Amino acid sequence: MTPLDKGQLWVMRIRAGAIGLLALVAAAIAETVLRDEIGLARGVIVLPLLPPLLWLALIAPGRRFRAWGYRVDGEELEVRHGVWTEVETVVPFERVQHIDIAQGPLERAFGVTRLIVHTAGTLHSQVPLPGLARATAERMRDEIRARIRRDEA
Amino acid sequence: MSEALRADRRVHPGTIFLRFLKEAPSTVLALPAALAVISDAGIGRALAVAGAIAAAAIFFQWLAWSRFRYGVGAGEIVIESGILHRNRRSIPFGRIQDVDIERALLARLFGLAKVRIETGAGGKDEGLLDSVTVAEADRLRGAVRAWRGEQAALAAGAAPDGAEAESQDGGDPRPDPLAPPARPLFAMGVRRVLLFGLFNFSLFYIASLFAFLQTFDNLLPFDIYDPARWIGLVETRLPGRFTLGAIVAVLLLAMLLGLAAGVLRTLSRHHGFRLTAEGDRFRRERGLFTRTEAVIAKRRVQLAYVRTGPIRRAFGWSGLSFQTLGAASDGSGMQEAAPFARRDEMAPILAEAAPLRLPPPPTLAMVSSRHIVRAMATSLAPATIVIAALSVRWPAALLLVALLPLLGVAAALDRRFHRYALDGELLFVTRGVWRQQLWVVPVANAQAVSIARSVLQRRLGLATVSIDTAGAAILRGVRIVDIGDEAARRLAGKVAEGRRLHSSGRKSGTER
Repeated sequence: MTPLDKGQLWVMRIRAGAIGLLALVAAAIAETVLRDEIGLARGVIVLPLLPPLLWLALIAPGRRFRAWGYRVDGEELEVRHGVWTEVETVVPFERVQHIDIAQGPLERAFGVTRLIVHTAGTLHSQVPLPGLARATAERMRDEIRARIRRDEA
Repeated sequence: MSEALRADRRVHPGTIFLRFLKEAPSTVLALPAALAVISDAGIGRALAVAGAIAAAAIFFQWLAWSRFRYGVGAGEIVIESGILHRNRRSIPFGRIQDVDIERALLARLFGLAKVRIETGAGGKDEGLLDSVTVAEADRLRGAVRAWRGEQAALAAGAAPDGAEAESQDGGDPRPDPLAPPARPLFAMGVRRVLLFGLFNFSLFYIASLFAFLQTFDNLLPFDIYDPARWIGLVETRLPGRFTLGAIVAVLLLAMLLGLAAGVLRTLSRHHGFRLTAEGDRFRRERGLFTRTEAVIAKRRVQLAYVRTGPIRRAFGWSGLSFQTLGAASDGSGMQEAAPFARRDEMAPILAEAAPLRLPPPPTLAMVSSRHIVRAMATSLAPATIVIAALSVRWPAALLLVALLPLLGVAAALDRRFHRYALDGELLFVTRGVWRQQLWVVPVANAQAVSIARSVLQRRLGLATVSIDTAGAAILRGVRIVDIGDEAARRLAGKVAEGRRLHSSGRKSGTER
């Protein structure tokens, strides 16, 4: 299984960090407000939240990043992800309807793109594969297109 | 370097104005109007605010317009869009099923049209060009058609015996002057419908009674949620008659009313049910007051779904539906073919939609026995928590612990009734103790196959396999829960193999 591009790790870390920061700020605000109203001790809300938020921002992204992997196998694309629940999805090229290559501003800063493969299914009508360098994503897209064209011939 | 089809065209600039106009009532006019009413700022201020909002709106529309580009050629359509989140979508010609040209009134005034490109994908909005000139829209449609024509010519040239009867033009089906006669497959007479209604016991009327009461909650002289009141009510209404006999009578009455409601609803929905085969499609009619008709193209049938309940099964009745591409009334593709039939009546219907058939019972294998362990683990935890919480208040709740082994029995039954088998080109999956379901899936129709393993499953060496198909309802996909790791991989492999083998004659399972 090929791992994702390293840039994706930073994207994940920054996203997790942003969420953690927001949660911390919300907790701090709640605590300040409630302290005036009820008279809680300092840090009753923020301190218990700190360990899980630290985990979320520092450790979890690394684990999630390592859990992602993909493999292109001539006729199909296999994508694996998930830390708590591992999911492996196999998408045959001939089932692909159309292909997206997407890139948000954060992803552009680290040079990774997301390849989204659309199928006719319902549960997996979209199969995303984040963390690919643009060249890799385009190469994969061309492979899939070539396969589709062979399908039509 | 990829072939990077240049996305070099922009939609018509008039679109900016069009979209602005469409959104104007809600954004530009609403806010200033509200302001003018709320604060006494005067018309001048309100107009100034409206002007500012309008300018901002036009600016954003312009931004979106300038970031939206598309290109046609080299066998695909490419659409690049997005201000912050850039997205480049590539749609191969071969996957395009339809090019819809939509001409709304406002757009028509400016000579523009919205082009909708439909592929077989299960989501929505595969490709939307909003808006181009009518000439450009026709050019696009012409390009796709021309390409299809080429492909058809190539295919016809390569297969001189004309075996490729399923032409790739995907356009209007050729009207067949000699339409094949309709062959009746299945019909439900009045007696059958009434019997079906009996099995459709419905406490619907009690629910509607409570709904009615709830609407007028405030006007009633008592609180409908207080059980003591109900008992008090009964006591005052039936002084001295609050006997066992009275309770039994009331229950009997409720049951009779439930039965009657069920029969009436079934009658109005399924009266005169008729399923006929007409060449390459099924036609289904039903209904007493509103006669509805549905056409199910055989080629679009993805799988067969048989459902039965414990009492029905004892009497030999089940219901057959087909899952098809394209939406039914509830959004999924489930169409009822024989809602209340015996198994031998279903066999000829399934034979029409070859290669489907019913499985001979003994050949299905059960899922792993460790499923019992997992099912028990997942149900024991919440159960013990609930009992513990209750016993804090009512120590007698501890007695409920004696019922916990029942969870084990339920889990064992669950496992016994969850079976699967891969038999040539068909995958059979059964599930459910109370409501027994059977899926018959030709592997040629499998889309993506996915194997999921949660923490507990990894510990126990289990996995859940789900086989995605087109037109499935969200929670009713084909899933085989808790089979062994190795078995899961083998199954996924065999499904992939079977799909490659049997779908070589069909393209992507998504033709119309």
